[in-house]
Amino acid sequence: MVPATLAKSLVGICGRDGVILDEERLLVYESDALTAYRHRPGAVVLPRSTEQVQGAVRAVAEHGLPIVPRGAGTGLSGGAVALDGAVVIGTARMNRILNIDAPNRRAVLQPGVINAELSEAARVHGLYYAPDPSSQTTCTIGGNVAENSGGPHCLKYGVTSRYVTGLAVVLADGSLVKLGGQGRESPGYDLVGLFVGSEGCFGIATEIEVGLLPVPEGVRTLLGIFDRIDDAGQAVSDIVAAGLLPAALEIIDGPTIRAVEDSVFAAGYPTDAEAALVIEFDGMEAGLDHDVERAAVLCERAGAREVRSARDEDERMALWKGRKKAFGAMGRIAPDLLVQDATVPRTTLPSILRGISDIGQRYDLVVANVFHAGDGNLHPNILFDRRDEHELERVERASKEIMQLCVDSGGTITGEHGVGLDKKHHMELIYGPDELDAMWRVRRVFDPGGVMNPGKVLPEDTIPSEDTVLPVGTGGD
Amino acid sequence: MSAAVDSLASAVRKQEQGLLNCVHCGFCLPACPTYRRLGDEADSPRGRLYLMQAVVEGRLDPGAEAFQTHIGRCLGCRACEPVCPSGVEYGQLLELARQVGGNARRPPVFSRVLLRVFGTAWLARPAMFAGRVARATGLPALLTRIMAGRRPPKGARLAVAMLAASAPPPPLPSRTEDPPATVPRRLDAAKPTVGVLTGCVQAGLFARVNQATVRVLQANGYHVVSVPNQECCGALHAHGGDLEAARSLARRNIVAFEAARVDIVAMNASGCGAAMADYGSLLADDEAMASRARAFAGKVRDISQLLADRGPVPGGTVPLKVTYDAPCHLLHAQGVADPPSRVLDSIPGLEVVPLPGAAECCGGAGIYGLTNPRLGGWIGSDKVQSVLGTGASALVTGNPGCMMQIGAGLALTGAGIPVLHLVELLDESYRRGGLYGNAGG
Repeated sequence: MVPATLAKSLVGICGRDGVILDEERLLVYESDALTAYRHRPGAVVLPRSTEQVQGAVRAVAEHGLPIVPRGAGTGLSGGAVALDGAVVIGTARMNRILNIDAPNRRAVLQPGVINAELSEAARVHGLYYAPDPSSQTTCTIGGNVAENSGGPHCLKYGVTSRYVTGLAVVLADGSLVKLGGQGRESPGYDLVGLFVGSEGCFGIATEIEVGLLPVPEGVRTLLGIFDRIDDAGQAVSDIVAAGLLPAALEIIDGPTIRAVEDSVFAAGYPTDAEAALVIEFDGMEAGLDHDVERAAVLCERAGAREVRSARDEDERMALWKGRKKAFGAMGRIAPDLLVQDATVPRTTLPSILRGISDIGQRYDLVVANVFHAGDGNLHPNILFDRRDEHELERVERASKEIMQLCVDSGGTITGEHGVGLDKKHHMELIYGPDELDAMWRVRRVFDPGGVMNPGKVLPEDTIPSEDTVLPVGTGGD
Repeated sequence: MSAAVDSLASAVRKQEQGLLNCVHCGFCLPACPTYRRLGDEADSPRGRLYLMQAVVEGRLDPGAEAFQTHIGRCLGCRACEPVCPSGVEYGQLLELARQVGGNARRPPVFSRVLLRVFGTAWLARPAMFAGRVARATGLPALLTRIMAGRRPPKGARLAVAMLAASAPPPPLPSRTEDPPATVPRRLDAAKPTVGVLTGCVQAGLFARVNQATVRVLQANGYHVVSVPNQECCGALHAHGGDLEAARSLARRNIVAFEAARVDIVAMNASGCGAAMADYGSLLADDEAMASRARAFAGKVRDISQLLADRGPVPGGTVPLKVTYDAPCHLLHAQGVADPPSRVLDSIPGLEVVPLPGAAECCGGAGIYGLTNPRLGGWIGSDKVQSVLGTGASALVTGNPGCMMQIGAGLALTGAGIPVLHLVELLDESYRRGGLYGNAGG
């Protein structure tokens, strides 16, 4: 519950229907798509304009309360969870595409625009927005900017940071700054680059300029079926080593295949297989079939039981839907899941997958893998039931061991989901005090008062000693 | 423990099993018409499931404003079900949630009265008769014309416009050079026996649709028998959370259709179709009826499916530009997507243009327009604008609630675009084609 004076000024800024204060209605906002963390916000504000965001930020900051930006609440690292009665500023109502400048292949949009809807709107101009997180039908561009989101096709096309060219950002004191813009290289420091991936700790982007790409002339999608997941991992390494540049290389393991095939998004993956490898090539028609043939041969050499190609667009879409909805389909196996996110050198995939499977067995947990194999970006999904406290504890320990395994093999603790709440204590696995210190200093430049999304990304016990901001605890609703 | 508390407890347990499938991925958010407009996660399927879960966990009182408001604001369109990777059966959970909510706090008196009227034949018939008499006076149509162009109607004014919208459409255009009547194709397959649910609103205000249904079924080689003693399907009761009334109506319908020995129960109101196809789960705990209910549910087919199965038989030319709006309880709840288009495509001369947002609810949603007038009006006017944007001269759909909701909205724009039931259009084509024995044209 926020102080009455704050409640009153928020209503004054965003209107009665733009502020949620009722404790019971606030329940709905207590977690994002990572349900292991639940904390009820003090209030939720749903502004409709940059000015309302500025006003709300100013009012909350004056009362010394923390602020948590939130898009569609589909994040998987607890980044949009409100600790210590923070006020959530949701961007769902700021969902307009302000301009599509087709000749310059640019679009300017509000943060609440849904990723896939931008591509849909751009398609009439023969353009699309390349980064395609699996949640693209529901996640917002604002959230993508905050998390520097990736997606299956980022193997060839790169992640969000490559496409964001300009931002209007409301800072922690309510002031508005314009970073970059007009698609050109902005002189001086690349503040847009710094902001993308800042996980809500640097401010709230209220206008986002992105680059669009022409829709590729041709697309080919292959499905390799493997009886051993190691072989699928090997095929991935071989395809990349051969100099091919697929748009996407995705592995879906046996347990995931069976969950997906049981769902409305059944893609026709054989349920007795231990791995399905989805390979996609796109670009100019000329040469596509040649690439497809070479990839198919490499799959067969690596031990594929079968390699088939999507015959038409419907079949292709089915293969992708199965892959992209896999996370949601896990609900068919267990009530809760922890979607992990780590990146490892591609060549270590087979041994890491074996290691993860061992960890799962040791903790008596089902781990289902579905991941961007081409990038070495793993998503081990640990399945559990939160009502079983002992199991939850095993999940946390297994999760930490998986992270350690990935780091030990030269990898890192996240590929695209962000650090958020879930991984801040893994940060010390990869960074020493000096690096963390540097990150704290950068954060304080944007947010000297420690108002923006505190308790996320950087562990409190690494706060530099000269920092005057009191650490924000991580407990309590 | 009282029987009501018992059934509440078991409903809650059932909810828990169903709810746990939700992994909070949020894929349902953009599919939800209320979330799209309000932008509040408490008005999304995921948010509503979360509130239900909180009730089950004992963290939230079902009488609380939060639960009453957001569960009450759900259209029940079930557009969230086909996009859910975990297969959460949202529609069933919603009905249970409404029951729990209704037990905690009595619903408004007028919705209780309305449900009582629909569920009681001797009350429904005079009410529908009164409606027809009022409609025949031409007064609703006149009032609608007067209201046209003003702000979206609410409450009584909406009811008047909806009543006016249930009137038969004006004559459809025809071509003078219509081809001569075609001879109906002979169907050699054994004729399946079909009983038609006549329904309460359908029988009361859309008798012409029921008559057309029988004619087009016969023309397509079905043997149609009358089914006496049938009742309201109970859909509105179930959606409103009065599951006991819904079950009692379901039992009576099962008995009535069994007595008529039908192979198929034909539906021309998709809201009723979705409810009757769900009788199996509605009566799952009724030992005496459970297996009969499952067998009955297996016989339920939408009229568009029955027609598409047979081609349908082509009729005469109807030179008209139309657009089609998919009823939620046909598309989302029953997964019937193609058959209506196949029926439309079979009509010579008909031009079918796509309707943007056809898969989204029209805001009719049973008695939603009366219980949530502001939001229902907003959703309804978006649908109307979308229809106007297509340039079609008529809208086709397959459910009386949608016909009245969109019809009222269209009438109030003064654009003169009628709303037709799919079978009305096919029936007209058959009449012109001479399939009923008279000359075409």
